[in-house]
Amino acid sequence: MKNLSLENLSKTYFDPYAGTTVNAVQDVSLNVAAGEFVAVVGPSGCGKTTILNMIAGFVPISGGRVLVGGKEVKGPGPDRGVVFQSFALFPWKTVAENVTFGPKMRGVGKAERAKIAEEYLALAGLSHAADRYPNELSGGMQQRVGVVRALANNPDVLLMDEPFASVDAQTRMTLQEELTRIWEERRPTVIFITHDVAEAVFLANRVVVLSKGNVLEEVDIDLPRPRSWDRLVEDGDFKGLSNKVLQLVRSA
Amino acid sequence: MAERMAFSPVPYTRRRRAVKFMLPLLGLVVIWQLVVVIFDVNPRIFPDVPTVLRAGWGTIADGSLLGHVTASLWRVTVGTVLAILLAVPLGILMGVSRGVSSFLSPLFRFFAVLAGIAWIPIATLWFGYGFGAITFVIFNAVFFVVAYNTLLGVSTIPMPIRHAAASLGTSRWQLLKEVLVPGALPNIVTGIRTGMGFAWRGLIAAEMIATNTGLGYMLFLARDFYRTEVIVFAMIIIGIIWLVLDRLLLAPLERATVERWGMVQRS
Repeated sequence: MKNLSLENLSKTYFDPYAGTTVNAVQDVSLNVAAGEFVAVVGPSGCGKTTILNMIAGFVPISGGRVLVGGKEVKGPGPDRGVVFQSFALFPWKTVAENVTFGPKMRGVGKAERAKIAEEYLALAGLSHAADRYPNELSGGMQQRVGVVRALANNPDVLLMDEPFASVDAQTRMTLQEELTRIWEERRPTVIFITHDVAEAVFLANRVVVLSKGNVLEEVDIDLPRPRSWDRLVEDGDFKGLSNKVLQLVRSA
Repeated sequence: MAERMAFSPVPYTRRRRAVKFMLPLLGLVVIWQLVVVIFDVNPRIFPDVPTVLRAGWGTIADGSLLGHVTASLWRVTVGTVLAILLAVPLGILMGVSRGVSSFLSPLFRFFAVLAGIAWIPIATLWFGYGFGAITFVIFNAVFFVVAYNTLLGVSTIPMPIRHAAASLGTSRWQLLKEVLVPGALPNIVTGIRTGMGFAWRGLIAAEMIATNTGLGYMLFLARDFYRTEVIVFAMIIIGIIWLVLDRLLLAPLERATVERWGMVQRS
């Protein structure tokens, strides 16, 4: 795992309907240490998904740089694993084939891939579903596959774009707890985009609040780990931090 | 799984589905016979069921039906296979390159509409009467529809899926093999099914004009001898062959791959 830094990252695009240029992201600088979990929150239209898409290399950068482990990146690459809101699993591949897709692209052999599948499916509690197709799974199970598919490729940083926004509330809490457990076990460098303040505070070491394409404030989350909803839901510190972040988002 | 079973209607067995499919057709045969008998229809206008069956048995017994069916199926097979082999790679190439696709797309739409019997006159000028002209018509009917559907399939693969592949480190060749071809497969199969439907219709029309064997020719020849019962029998055979092709070959092909992945709903 490596550190990630954004240096004066900007995105401007031309809005053909309004006939004007829009500054979606302006001069955002951010450092994420190796093994740190940073959540980025903000109201819709604040540029959080655009930032993630620039880091992932899915959209061109208008200004500034993205560095992974000190090296500037251009375009998508396996050093940055991505977990998508829409899961984006390959429907024509089984769960195990989805999880080992990255290793297969790198030329990892069949026997080794079987081991990788076994390890990561166990990590996600999906060993029983290895030979199923994604459409046979619930949304929550599909996103577990999405998370370990990204992890199984050993990325330097993990980019998560509102990954739990399209599952039901109960499943979402379970997935959040599983993600903290996996993070505590493996310590990947994570940028997690969300509009859910409680989710951000629950998961992250640090929450970055965005407003109109700028960093409004950064809040350190020093809650003890391991974290679970049973404990945190009535926790005074958790409530205090959540309220603080919520006020910032509402003022954004 | 158990949950899904509980909410789905009683699953039809194969036999029940077949019976349900055959029942309206059998009903039509019954009505046909009743109408012919009750209104005493002139057999030259429309013969009754036993007459058609007898005529049909005659064409089976003297081997002429087998000859026509074989000729027709051979043309369809050759034309379709050639068309698929050329159309799928071209459609994928078009889907990969936006420049190529935007340039060729209007042409393909134009020819997809034109494909079929409109090509018969010029095909006979180019290839003469017989196998070449007819296979060319079939080829045209399948080629443009499959190429256009393949292009559509490649260009409608959701962006997040392409992004996922890119961020997992696919090379260009791997993207093609692992993502674009399987992702376009639902549309490719639909294209083949639609294209073969056009091809089968075009084939019958072409055989009436441009050959001296095949089911279309069988129809045309029977008209010359005022053998209405053979015409009706040949029409029934043409319909049955298509239903068998579609339900026993193309529909299972769709089920085996695409429906399993949940990319199209079972029809």
